[in-house]
Amino acid sequence: MSYMIRKRPNIRIRKRTFTLFLFFAILLFALVAKLFCIQLLNGRRYREMALTQRMQLIPVYAERGTIYDRNLTELAVSIRTDGVYVSPPNITKPDETARSLANILHLPYESVYSMVKKESPFVWVSLKVTPDDAKMIREMKYPGVKVTETVQRFYPKRELAAHILGVAGMDNQGLEGLEYFYEKELAGQAGYVREEQAPKVGHIPQGIREIQAAEDGNDIVLTIDEGIQYIAERELGKAIKDTGASKGTIIVMNPGTGELLAIANYPTFDPNGFAKYSSAARRNIAITDMYEPGSTFKLIIAAAALEEGLVSPNEIFFDPGYIKIDGKQINCEKKEGHGWITFAEAIVESCNVALSEVGLRFSKERFYDYIRAFNFGKKTGIDFPGEASGLLIPEKTLKPIEMANIAFGQGISVTPLQILLAVSCIANDGVYMQPYLVKEIRSKNGQVLEKFEPTPLNQVISKETSDILKEMMERVVTEGTGKNAAILGYRVAGKTGTSQKPEGGTYGSKRIASFVGFAPVDEPKLAIIVVLDEPKTISKYGGVLAAPVFKTVLEDSLRYLGIPPYFKDDKSSLSKEEIVAVPDVIGRSPVEAKEAVASFKLRSKVQGQGSLVVDQHPRAGNLVSANSYVVIYLKEQDITEMVVVPNVLGLTMKRAAQVLAEFGLKLNPSGSGMAVEINPKVGIKVEYGSIVDVLFR
Amino acid sequence: MVFDRRLIKEIDYILLITVAILIVVGLIIIYSATRTNKALNNGDPFYFLKKQIQWILLGIIAFVFLINIDYRALQKFYYHIYILNILLLLAVLISGKVGGGAQRWLYFGSMGIQPSEFAKLAIVITLAQFLSDESNTIGLRKVIKAFLHIALPTVLIARQPDLGTAIVFIVIFFGMLYIAGTPKRILGGMLLIGLLASPFVYFSFLKPYQRKRLLIFLNPSADSLVSGYNIIQSKIAIGSGKVLGKGLFAGTQTQLSFLPARHTDFIFSVVGEEFGFIGSVCILFLYFILLWRALLIIASAKDDYGRLIATGVVSVFAFHIFVNIGMTLGIMPVTGLPLPFLTYGGSAMLANLIGIGLLVNVGMRRKKLVFK
Repeated sequence: MSYMIRKRPNIRIRKRTFTLFLFFAILLFALVAKLFCIQLLNGRRYREMALTQRMQLIPVYAERGTIYDRNLTELAVSIRTDGVYVSPPNITKPDETARSLANILHLPYESVYSMVKKESPFVWVSLKVTPDDAKMIREMKYPGVKVTETVQRFYPKRELAAHILGVAGMDNQGLEGLEYFYEKELAGQAGYVREEQAPKVGHIPQGIREIQAAEDGNDIVLTIDEGIQYIAERELGKAIKDTGASKGTIIVMNPGTGELLAIANYPTFDPNGFAKYSSAARRNIAITDMYEPGSTFKLIIAAAALEEGLVSPNEIFFDPGYIKIDGKQINCEKKEGHGWITFAEAIVESCNVALSEVGLRFSKERFYDYIRAFNFGKKTGIDFPGEASGLLIPEKTLKPIEMANIAFGQGISVTPLQILLAVSCIANDGVYMQPYLVKEIRSKNGQVLEKFEPTPLNQVISKETSDILKEMMERVVTEGTGKNAAILGYRVAGKTGTSQKPEGGTYGSKRIASFVGFAPVDEPKLAIIVVLDEPKTISKYGGVLAAPVFKTVLEDSLRYLGIPPYFKDDKSSLSKEEIVAVPDVIGRSPVEAKEAVASFKLRSKVQGQGSLVVDQHPRAGNLVSANSYVVIYLKEQDITEMVVVPNVLGLTMKRAAQVLAEFGLKLNPSGSGMAVEINPKVGIKVEYGSIVDVLFR
Repeated sequence: MVFDRRLIKEIDYILLITVAILIVVGLIIIYSATRTNKALNNGDPFYFLKKQIQWILLGIIAFVFLINIDYRALQKFYYHIYILNILLLLAVLISGKVGGGAQRWLYFGSMGIQPSEFAKLAIVITLAQFLSDESNTIGLRKVIKAFLHIALPTVLIARQPDLGTAIVFIVIFFGMLYIAGTPKRILGGMLLIGLLASPFVYFSFLKPYQRKRLLIFLNPSADSLVSGYNIIQSKIAIGSGKVLGKGLFAGTQTQLSFLPARHTDFIFSVVGEEFGFIGSVCILFLYFILLWRALLIIASAKDDYGRLIATGVVSVFAFHIFVNIGMTLGIMPVTGLPLPFLTYGGSAMLANLIGIGLLVNVGMRRKKLVFK
């Protein structure tokens, strides 16, 4: 099939050329139509888009309010630093830009790269850069990279009061603690600068520029006292080191006002680099964590029973060491029992049996009325986020055995703060005070905008009842389980607590040692609670571990506040006594240890059996009054610890004996001269206290 | 070389004046688009202007030289042109392999040329001869032969990879077959085969970035940071020009470098922003005159050879104009085809002026043998 072009060439060509002409004309018309659409119909929209593209929004941070302690010491401040941001649409060399920024700021290249590629006109790379780095970045002049002034939170005291203050994040927003709780007051109102920008030129000098100034946040003044906070944190740190406890908390407050003076927690963190710490380290255990209070809770039941007239201080109880309730046995800590004791003595000696009996005298309703009146099972309403309310067994299902348990602090979950507030209520003549952390809110120029006053919530017990309890609590310190809390020249009241930790539905070997108390007894100024969770020491009693810590914090705080010692010979014999340092007896034989303790005018109390002292309380170097007890722990037979036989070859008999003793091994020598043979062989694991045969030649 | 005065009279001055206006407007816009960008122009606001003027002068010399010789003289160089074209495209491919990545340039000392720009003309000249040669009938067999004729250069150019130019070759092929009088059934059949083959081409021949461009064309906002960004920026520039434009040197999107490739692929967007709807339509009108005058030359050409050369040149211009401007308006995919006489670029300017030379050459010799 073929066509002859020549036959009628002109007509065909003209037809097809004209078709092409029409085709071109239609296409051109289509372009004109599209131009009409873009430029005339949507011109305004595109012009706005062009303007938004050129206008860049740079946030101007408000200066976050300062957080002061009660004496106006700065705890959290805002400082002006340089920040670096990128505007990805303007970045011409993403690879190079990201690499340089990553190098200077020590950030991973991948994360910086993803920032410069982000589909956003504005991305912060770092809100806090050093002046040197800022200078370097400015000098590189990469398009789309800018250095601007930012406001950053800085905590000049680092770990101090970290859990109370909480943290404000990179974008200056309160995330935890008071920073979060008082966000509205502290944050202020951020402003902005909108200015015309060009991708490669940056800010256009004659361009449009709008400024909305930032409004700075208000300052807050805490009830916390930096000095007492420091004491509490220092002593908590020491206690954790000495006892190997996994967690711990100390709260100090003014029982008369409800003002919190210090809250120390371990583990702790530095809010300046908070992201490096686990959330567990950032928990304000004192307020947000629950535990079973143990014997400290006996005070609450005693208060209720005395108030209700269910018991009198001098009522006599008999404690054979246990009590059976509904077929279940409750044991006293003292296995042989306290025998015939008064109710007051039951508190002083912390007798579970007597308290269980008293607990059973309540009706369920009255029992819980008092527990609730002391604010257990509900939040105390402190101005802090995330407060735990505690847990009560529902009243409907409450059984007598459970009431008996609760009477000595088992089967109820509370926060350390709740216990301290209840004890403060006793110290404050039965008036429960609203706890609070913030005293004042001030404007940036120092004007007081809001003032928080002490607020009594309710009279839980009468003054008479509280006086009886105070006396009992003082006896705990002078003659009972809390002797380690005694301070020369001050009247101290307190109560020990040793809680068993529930582990999988039952109680295991883990303990929580605690001590709560206040001083001076006749005019309480300070109430303190010390809680040490899971100490690793052999003795885990609150009176042994927590009471000395309580004592030091209390003593140092009383001195810090300038509260004078109160000498009253007929009330306290302590003033006549002298203060001595505890000797180091760990590693000695029991006889040697007792002699050493006696030579320091102290009394010794032996715990366990064995031939070697493995632990002591108080620890060496602690100052105590003469005639107080030093508890000596001997290695008990059921604790088997494995040690490695050390190399004593070539040593003299005396030296070999010393080396073996350091490892807790005994020498059985034969022959004389230098050690040439050891049985068991060097490096073999043997039981602590084993005998090693050594041949000397 | 003696020039016949009667021939000078036959030159299409309307066409020449139109091209001259386009070139001058192009120079002004290139200057506007590059004067403020120191990173590009090495601190000399006239850098691009000077380079472009050099190439224009070279193009005028080539133009004058070309109209002096009868286009039919080119027939003698059929094989030379065809083989030289293949060799140049191969050279680009090989140097591209050595240099790595896409390569479209060949360097002679410091001067770089883009053989693909000249390859279009080579295809036009050789295909015109092939189609007008020997038998006067255009049947299926001839069409297949003609297809084989352009197949090798098309594959070579597609391998660079330069998909835009490869498509230009196909367009030249269709345009010339159409004017050569190929039956509509054959043309229609070829279009159908092309459509059916397109998915196969898409999945087996296109590189990932080429596929992406096509997808972005279908949905520009899907990737606003890379190619889609360019289209959006182009529409913002053009749209914000509104009716009268923001004025020369006053287009914010152009002057502040928001608009990408503003002196090359997206030069029409500068026109849109700085001269508005009125200016844009004027430019479109100039192109309309160019195409109209070229179509007149096709219709009045003295022989098939000249007519087909003119047709090929018109196909190249028309395709570039519609695809480039369509791209800046977001109705055509991003292919990197320059806008004739406006886009900055030496090889393209030289090749376009040679193309005009060919058109004028055919047009001025339309009258049958008036030579003595």
